[in-house]
Amino acid sequence: MSIADRYINYVNQEVKTEPDKGWNRMILGYQANKWRSRLLPRPGLSRGYQKLEAMMMSLVADSLSHEDSYVWGNIFAPCEIMECFGVRTLSIECLSCYFSGYHLEDYFIDCAQNSGIAPTLCSYHKTFVGAVESGALSGPRYAVTTSLSCDGNLNTFRYLEKKIGVPFTFLDVPYRDDPESVSYLADQLREMTGTLEKVFGRPFDEEKLRRIIKVENETRRALFEFYELEKKHFYPGEIISQLYLMMGTHLLMGTEEFRDLVRFLVEDIKTYPEFTGKRILWVHLLPFYQETLREYFNENPKYQVIASDIVLDFADELDETDPFRALALKIIRNIYNGSYAIKADALGLVAQEMDADAVIHFCHWGCKQASGGSILLKEKMKELGIPMLILDGDGIDKRNSHDGQIKTRLEAFLEILETESRHRQEETC
Amino acid sequence: MLGYICKYAPIEIFESMGAEMKRIEPEVASFSQADMKMHPNVCSFAKGVLEDVLSQDYEGVILTTCCDSIRRLYDVLKAQFPDRFIYMLDTPRITKDAGIQLYEKRIREMIRAYEEFSGNTFDEARFLRLLREKKAQAEPASAPGKGRLSVGIAGARANENIRKILDEHGVRVAFDLTCTGLDRKLLVEEDQVMTGYVRGLLSQFPCMRMEEAAGRDQLIARYGDSADGIIYHTVQFCDNYSYEYAWLKGVISRPLLLLETDYTKQSYGQILTRIEAFLESLRPEPELTAKKTGGSDTMYVLGIDSGSTSTNAVIMDQDRNIKSFAVVRTGAKSGQSARKILEEVLKQAGLKREDLSRIVSTGYGRVSIPFADENVTEISCHGKGAHYFNPKVRTILDIGGQDSKAIHLNEHGEVTDFVMNDKCAAGTGRFLEMIARTLEMEIGDLGPAALQSTEDIEITSMCSVFAESEVISLIAQNKEKADIANGVCHSIATKSYSLLKRVGLEPEFMMTGGVAKNPGVVRAVEEKIGARLYICPEPEIVGAVGAALYALEQVNR
Repeated sequence: MSIADRYINYVNQEVKTEPDKGWNRMILGYQANKWRSRLLPRPGLSRGYQKLEAMMMSLVADSLSHEDSYVWGNIFAPCEIMECFGVRTLSIECLSCYFSGYHLEDYFIDCAQNSGIAPTLCSYHKTFVGAVESGALSGPRYAVTTSLSCDGNLNTFRYLEKKIGVPFTFLDVPYRDDPESVSYLADQLREMTGTLEKVFGRPFDEEKLRRIIKVENETRRALFEFYELEKKHFYPGEIISQLYLMMGTHLLMGTEEFRDLVRFLVEDIKTYPEFTGKRILWVHLLPFYQETLREYFNENPKYQVIASDIVLDFADELDETDPFRALALKIIRNIYNGSYAIKADALGLVAQEMDADAVIHFCHWGCKQASGGSILLKEKMKELGIPMLILDGDGIDKRNSHDGQIKTRLEAFLEILETESRHRQEETC
Repeated sequence: MLGYICKYAPIEIFESMGAEMKRIEPEVASFSQADMKMHPNVCSFAKGVLEDVLSQDYEGVILTTCCDSIRRLYDVLKAQFPDRFIYMLDTPRITKDAGIQLYEKRIREMIRAYEEFSGNTFDEARFLRLLREKKAQAEPASAPGKGRLSVGIAGARANENIRKILDEHGVRVAFDLTCTGLDRKLLVEEDQVMTGYVRGLLSQFPCMRMEEAAGRDQLIARYGDSADGIIYHTVQFCDNYSYEYAWLKGVISRPLLLLETDYTKQSYGQILTRIEAFLESLRPEPELTAKKTGGSDTMYVLGIDSGSTSTNAVIMDQDRNIKSFAVVRTGAKSGQSARKILEEVLKQAGLKREDLSRIVSTGYGRVSIPFADENVTEISCHGKGAHYFNPKVRTILDIGGQDSKAIHLNEHGEVTDFVMNDKCAAGTGRFLEMIARTLEMEIGDLGPAALQSTEDIEITSMCSVFAESEVISLIAQNKEKADIANGVCHSIATKSYSLLKRVGLEPEFMMTGGVAKNPGVVRAVEEKIGARLYICPEPEIVGAVGAALYALEQVNR
């Protein structure tokens, strides 16, 4: 057993027996992992994705080490505004994934369920609520959440406020995309800056927000350049790389360090060879631990997950001269908001623009909005002639993802893709 | 006819435009269409509405952006019925002025859309008249009935059956704070009719999607004082209300029953058992009708427990001595096995049918025992039976063939709390039977085999079907049967622990039901709770003993 595994086991046990001590040990482990990801090269994984992993390790380890340096958020919370106050946003979904680094997700989930939380709730939320219930997790000064896409958000944050007293701002995101909705949300964003001024004792600087949005636009442009290059080059990634990218585009958007990293990706990918394998567009969350998916997609020249909707959930330029309306528009036009028809059209377009050979939709346990739309998306992809596979499982709780079932479905699907390619080649010959 | 589901839907507007409004309250036989068009893991209510709309001829359906499942319901309905008025009304979660303004605008847009669709026009004067009439008709709240047991209902929208069952059991509904139980709040402001109306809609008792819901718990607690107990209702795959339940159960002083329903006709039996057991726990003396079956100088009573796997019967004399008992397989017809066991237990006791003064039935098939004088739920009977065998017992784990339950008792043997799993085979006797078959073992050999285990194997799947596949993989890996059996026992113990924890884990512990005869499971549960389990010589008859005790109490009364 490696030192790292021994430490993981030690922390796992300590959290269960002495939760208050366990939390500090968890943070220490994240710090160690940050250095490991910076210093130890990972053969097979592209340089850019290694840097990305190290950046996300730093984000989590450094923020958690300083209680005043971050707020809890959900993945759609406007990190740009928090950045104006020099504060990071750590989404509870991502933190839950990090807890699973210590194999604590099942213990935390059981803690949440034993307290009465529904077993059918999203496992990310159950993990997080359970971490609080277990007494292991200590909270920051403030939290920010939105109503976008996920029922759990308001309820989880409200529960946490009652349970351990972390107050939060709730942003109500309207369903419709029109000027009234934008004003309604922009006003809430503006009001939130006043609240954060009081919480962190620092004045809000609108000019700084404009600069952040400018950097965000540069980042998004660079990201699209990267996607364009990804059509030609094999840039070895892992399925977890998509989650790190999502963290970047949602928790570090508008920062120079993330923009520079995306620019590095753009330059670096050009040095990699041609990609001739199958290009998969992934829809919804990625179960990064899942053995069969790792076997097929991690650094595999035959199959690569080239993009995911959780990274590409908003694609427009923002008007930096009107930052609150720009951010409101960004949240309202997120493809997770509004009717599924909008999302299905957008994903159809992405699949076509990115020359995806196939789409895989992962129905994460407890996520009603994703599962409920999966059949509609399949119909859309059928219209466009793009093969699509629906997989059921859990993004974090291994007990809800059965490897045998995922393996059979995935392998059969990949066999179909191979057979189709062969037929196409025969036709061209 | 226009269907709607949400209390925030502005139904009076449509009514003023001549539309007939129907609140959709599904009760379906299956989710076959919904599972195909949506996904099995979507909220049961949303799936039920989809089934209902697919089977009826609605002109349209008004939905609100209340939750993820309803948003997807809209998408599916819209795709399914492009020519009907399937409308998604964007309902703010903020009830302050900004929310009211936005909602008013959204409602006005909806009116225009319906005018275009139906050709009817909206007239504000007509709308105002209707509001005035409705407000005048609103019934004053009925005065509380004295002396009767009263129960409040809170949580997610409750279906009719809960009220019906309470009514049938003579229970007064002290309050119903669910979306379907609240009276409509109509605000009539003559100078700004629409704004006033919208303000009224948004100022109703907030549901969990609203920002304001933070104060719900205090309100529920305050209402709670006016009732003997509270039924907290949740809908399967709707998770929002479980947060409130988790919080409330720690702060509320009244007994609280968590009741999950799924809008299928089949769930009625499960709801009934839970509510009856809850009512029995609220009134320690069940209301049995005084009726004598027969009797002789020495008085005998019979308790009969009709479970899914076995039917168990106990004859007891007036001094609470067990005269005889029997256990038979239930088979396909519970009525037949009941008659069979009656003959057997009478034969063993050397008695005749006429010698029995009273018969109380319990268990899953308790209502199908034609010769029983009364029936009491298995939860109360297990409580009473456990107390009979060992008065120190406070927590019971009962694992039967088809369900498992944890029951908490007070020092008098009265049930104060219980939780049941009867929706999923994992953690039940049926699951053990499945696994024994897969391992090619007799069910009785599985427990002793587990005790011989030398290697720890974890069965991680929470679903019995997945777990069986996991066991098959372990067999393929050539793992020892004893180790697999032990892993399975631990899997049952983990499920059981979660049930036990929910009723408080107060020692001493007792295990009842057929699975208590499995030494592997017993050991695994004991390891998990860190305490010994008391197991009586015949753990299957505890429910029947409890039923016999109920019969005796009634006769002696």
